[in-house]
Amino acid sequence: MTNEEALKKAFCEGLGVNEDEIDWGTLQYRGIEQWDSVAHMQVVAEIEDAFDIMMDIDDVIAMSDFKATKEILQKYDVRFP
Amino acid sequence: MIDADEQLSDQQALARLASRARCSVLRLGHAAGGTGAHYGPALSLVEVMTAIYSMARVAPGVGTDLERDRVILSKGHGSLALYTVLHEFGHIPDDVLETAELDGTRLPGQPICDRELGIEFSSGSLGMGLGYGVGLALSARMMQSGRRIFVVMGDGETNEGSVWEAAMAATHFGLGSITAVIDVNDLQSDGATSDIMSFDHAAGWAGFGWEVIEVDGHSIPALQAAIAQKPSGRPRCILARTVKGKGISFMEAVPEWHHGRLTEPQYAEAHDELRGGEPR
Amino acid sequence: MTNLPNPRGLSRLGPRGTFGTALLAAAELNPRVVGVTADLAITAGLERFRVKYPERLLNVGIAEQNLVGIAAGLAEDGWQPFAATFANFAAMRSNEFVRHHLGYMRQKVSVVGIGAGFAMGQFGTTHYSLEDVSALRAIPNLTILSPGDCTEVFQAVLALANDPQPCYLRLSGAPSMRPVDQSDTSFQIGRARVLSTGSDVTIVGTGSMLSVAAGAAGILQERGISVGVVNVHTIKPLDEDAIRGLIGSTGAVVTVEEHSILGGLGAAVAEILSAEAGSPPLRRIGVPDRFPKVGSYDFVLKQCGLTDLLVADEVGDWISRHRRAAAATT
Repeated sequence: MTNEEALKKAFCEGLGVNEDEIDWGTLQYRGIEQWDSVAHMQVVAEIEDAFDIMMDIDDVIAMSDFKATKEILQKYDVRFP
Repeated sequence: MIDADEQLSDQQALARLASRARCSVLRLGHAAGGTGAHYGPALSLVEVMTAIYSMARVAPGVGTDLERDRVILSKGHGSLALYTVLHEFGHIPDDVLETAELDGTRLPGQPICDRELGIEFSSGSLGMGLGYGVGLALSARMMQSGRRIFVVMGDGETNEGSVWEAAMAATHFGLGSITAVIDVNDLQSDGATSDIMSFDHAAGWAGFGWEVIEVDGHSIPALQAAIAQKPSGRPRCILARTVKGKGISFMEAVPEWHHGRLTEPQYAEAHDELRGGEPR
Repeated sequence: MTNLPNPRGLSRLGPRGTFGTALLAAAELNPRVVGVTADLAITAGLERFRVKYPERLLNVGIAEQNLVGIAAGLAEDGWQPFAATFANFAAMRSNEFVRHHLGYMRQKVSVVGIGAGFAMGQFGTTHYSLEDVSALRAIPNLTILSPGDCTEVFQAVLALANDPQPCYLRLSGAPSMRPVDQSDTSFQIGRARVLSTGSDVTIVGTGSMLSVAAGAAGILQERGISVGVVNVHTIKPLDEDAIRGLIGSTGAVVTVEEHSILGGLGAAVAEILSAEAGSPPLRRIGVPDRFPKVGSYDFVLKQCGLTDLLVADEVGDWISRHRRAAAATT
């Protein structure tokens, strides 16, 4: 599984949605009903499990959409080609 | 060297003072880092605290003078407005102010009574201040003291039943020396006061026998006039109509900024906006 | 039974967010579950609950005494109210309301004390709750729960939604409260969870201090001391059998709690052990009888000696002193 796939899977698990329900280009915090503050932390936990990292609280707050998440994860040596 | 402020009118000087205090609220809240700070409820209160301290007979460093007027901040989450305005009026030194909200500070998120710094009351638990104010006013009467007692509360705070026990007592005892100022910013922690616990303040306080004066809570002269109005012999309630988060547009009237944490870009934006008005 | 969510996700949510998530799960299972709050719906993690069941979330404004009174009135007609506010306000400002409605009238309300201990950090002493267990423990008919990690918070909420007793649920611990592996035991109100046994000393922890007890035990074990850990998530009714079971099986008992050393878990354990012949010596670790300096959560815990290392050091020193004293008398 590529990092991109693993990240998408983490989002789906955390948000409790199927991948085909998501438009990754527009997905953002509070943009869909499922991504509320509770789901946000579930997504963070899924990402941490998937990549075996521990995110800083500033990064957790800044994780406002899919694209931003990918950029933040670079800091943790998770690369997206 | 002549202090530039001396060449301004008193009102201009006070407006500048309030604007400096507002900048300090932002700076200290941001420096607290970690878990954030109570920006909204402090920013709505800057002019109220400025007007009170411009009128109250409280000199810095005389926290034991029995005749001094008493300023009780009952809404403890307005602490940053209290600290910064006390600093502007010379009660809190620069170096102490800069420790606000840091570990082990004398100036934490909710005030600790510290008369050396002009802080008369430990607060944070709402609805505690007005009853205490009634006691101070009764004591003043028994000691034939002419002091006034100012109690600053939030509009949400008046949800607490203890406020109304004290309001009833102040009227019963005829305590004209008490002036309550309500920071009516129309928001509380969970949202609009009209949604959480709606209440007609003007009718409510009047119904409890208080003299009610409504003012623009960001107009220092209007607040001063309300404080200076001839005594009626009844306790006075000044309803200060304010905007929560006043001065920082993305915070104004936004419930989430009751307590929050600024990112660096947000801090820069807020900083620029506050400084944009008038040069320091 | 609902599946438990990812423990790390719950830990990320913290005890308040977990409470809100759990109450939503309980509300889905039981249509009589209602949330009641004193202007702290968001702070208590009830935002999602408010969106999903707006008619079942009652906000009474900043009025904690009224909160308990209103919840009791709802309970009379068979609703299952969970009344949430900061722990100190719930337990102390509303104390007599809890005594009257929950204790005396036996209305089945779950009063939920959020941000117990030092969790509110810079909010300061007015928002610290260090005396809540002490203030409530003498009230008859009242269960007092103090879950040891977020998974246990979740379990406690689901259990309370089907439990007939009035209860005070104490939520200590900051966001990112550490998970404790308790998979070998099950959660049951009134039953302590024995996580491990030790012949030298047993550390009895509750709430946020369970993970500290477990951490301190790990450190002491590395120093060659045999340490057991017991989780007392139900402070009242206390699992007396589990406490008496320590007599003869362990050399010393330590309690650790994010609460005043007066009147809380330590006192409850002392009340049992002091009545038994041959009880091991007991050391109560908690918040000393004074108001600590205000600061961030970690700052205040450290000041009170409530970290893994500081607890390990205190327990280690105490045991060695005891051993020396015992050697001197023989």
